[in-house]
Amino acid sequence: MDITSLFTQFLSGLTYGTILFLVAAGLSLIFGVMNILNFAHAALWLMGAYFSYTFWNLMQEYSFAFWLSIPLAGFAAAAVGWFLEVVLIKRIYKRELHEQLLITYSIALILSDTIKLTWGVTNKLIVRPEMIRKPVFIFGSPLDSYFIFVILSGAAVAIGLWWFLKYTRYGHIVKAAVYSREMVAALGIPIPRIYTWVFTLGIFLAGFAGGIQAPIGSITLGMDNAIIIQAFCVVVIGGFGSLLGTLVGSLIVGEVFSFTILYWPEGAMVLIFVITAAILIVRPWGLFGTPMRT
Amino acid sequence: MDFRKTTAFFVTVITCLFFFGMTGAKAAEPYNLGVALGLTGAGALYSADGVEGIKLAVEEINAKGGFLGQHKVELFIRDSQTKPDVGVREVKDLILRDKIRAVINDYSSAVAMAVKPIAQEYKVLHIASISNSENITMINPSPYTFQVVPNSYMQAKAAAVAVAKMANQKGWKEYITIASDYEWGRSTQASAVKFLKESAPNLTLKKEFWPRLGETQFTSYITGIMAMKPDFVLGSVASNDNVAWMEQAKTYGFFDKIPYPGSLITVTELQLQAKTLPRNMIALTRAPFFAHMDNPMMADFVKNYRAKYNKYPSDWAVLSYDAVYALKQGVEKAKSIDTEKVKDAMKGLTVDLTRGKLTFRTIDNQLSCSSYTGTIADDPRYPFPIYKDIIEIKGSESERPESEILEARKATK
Repeated sequence: MDITSLFTQFLSGLTYGTILFLVAAGLSLIFGVMNILNFAHAALWLMGAYFSYTFWNLMQEYSFAFWLSIPLAGFAAAAVGWFLEVVLIKRIYKRELHEQLLITYSIALILSDTIKLTWGVTNKLIVRPEMIRKPVFIFGSPLDSYFIFVILSGAAVAIGLWWFLKYTRYGHIVKAAVYSREMVAALGIPIPRIYTWVFTLGIFLAGFAGGIQAPIGSITLGMDNAIIIQAFCVVVIGGFGSLLGTLVGSLIVGEVFSFTILYWPEGAMVLIFVITAAILIVRPWGLFGTPMRT
Repeated sequence: MDFRKTTAFFVTVITCLFFFGMTGAKAAEPYNLGVALGLTGAGALYSADGVEGIKLAVEEINAKGGFLGQHKVELFIRDSQTKPDVGVREVKDLILRDKIRAVINDYSSAVAMAVKPIAQEYKVLHIASISNSENITMINPSPYTFQVVPNSYMQAKAAAVAVAKMANQKGWKEYITIASDYEWGRSTQASAVKFLKESAPNLTLKKEFWPRLGETQFTSYITGIMAMKPDFVLGSVASNDNVAWMEQAKTYGFFDKIPYPGSLITVTELQLQAKTLPRNMIALTRAPFFAHMDNPMMADFVKNYRAKYNKYPSDWAVLSYDAVYALKQGVEKAKSIDTEKVKDAMKGLTVDLTRGKLTFRTIDNQLSCSSYTGTIADDPRYPFPIYKDIIEIKGSESERPESEILEARKATK
């Protein structure tokens, strides 16, 4: 296999990894700060995709509709996330992990039915603008031109989150809350309010990722079932709560999948699960996670 | 007035009314028809159209009094979620709670195969109108299960006939397959590979790809296949996944570089991807309405369907509509709604459907129906592309020989 083909496959892995990162970033952030394993994350991601379709549909005649619908999907999903946090999630912070999983799984089922009732069962298709319907060639390797935007968005989210956590006051509070929420609360910082906004931000990322996913294929019910498993693999490999870990985990999953397909197509997904299982056994806190949390 | 005589008169009248009423009620006993299709999950897109076709057929039949002019058809629609366990649960519930006599099921062949023994156990007719794995009727056959859609073997053979012709013309040597990793995808791919081996023995299968059902990201598959530079690719990607696969492959210029003949592009995709579907692509489908507009039943169906739903019917609407009319004609032949009689009447029955006069094969209850190949092209009569230069491969040309079916059954015993 020539170098161009290998580079093409690398680019495919990069795009796949970026899409996974966008989904997993919010999941990891919410778990890292709030200790909530949100099984409904992918359902909110799917809702974001449907929101994006609705916004695009409403503004179709305008050239900016396609691009604007993506962040708007993030905000709409964030509103749903905020509501869920205030009404439900707030009440399960101190519950056992298995209870949290059951409750968030129930939320996922409710959201799936809500999506079905709101948007119906028919697939939704967003028609891309002419300028991103053809491939671009990077060193002779074809790349879906829309994926340039996807990769840049992934990079922007990674940098934005890193900057937020490292350089802003709220970022420092959020990071501090990861390690000792009691100490943060003792300083007079309202932890519940911080949690609400962290959850909302996490769901904004899910909705934004859904908006980005929407024009890649068609939007269909049940899309969330597969992605949530892969997103969990990503955060397990990278380490729950670690932004860098999520990024690296996504890229590992994307590239492993992409290159395994060339040589052992049947085993591409299996290998990812094997890596995930191995990490869980050898280093349960993931590649970049921390073993000690209070 | 003699009180006793008056009382006797009224008692007689009331008794007569009661018994006439009973007889009347019996004569008007409704025919409970179950529908268990994958209204959510991977099969949602096709199943929704199937339900529309069924509803229209039932409305038309009920407007004329129902089956045999007296048994109104009552519909009980459930969502199998395209999952075998849910499909079985829902069909059992339809049988036990709603007392259905027949069920149209499913989008997924895996669900249909799980439901088949349940239908047989409870002696309920089972009609597969969308799912088309050959194994639904070939292996462990049930006298209660009928299939009105060309099965995976018939479709694969039809595609292979077309592809072999092209391979000989263009000197193709190597090919790759990509198929959804579940019952239908696996059996369709296996049949296609077998037929190609028979019709074009010089062709080599270079690689097989099996994206899982529900896959949303095909990029790695697309670039992987392109890197391997096959002469052509055979695809059997299912429903929603097929839309994602086609859309993503197109943006890589896949179809400009690699011939992709014989893939399933149904009227659903023709409509949904009207603007974006690559033209001049050679494709395969199961029941395109435009191939039979010369049949008055199809013309009427299209007219009524458009009036009711404001769109053209997909293959799934046509097939499911036909399923109800096949059942109706079975009831008429049996002159009864009794399931045992209808089941016996449908065996080997020739039925008038939107796709013409077609016969259920006695050996497996598979309707001997056609598959269709053609080139995707725009047509001013429709707001979406249709097939031109349609080749209709009749059931008799594409069915598995009966001797092979018997052998397969023997092998599985």
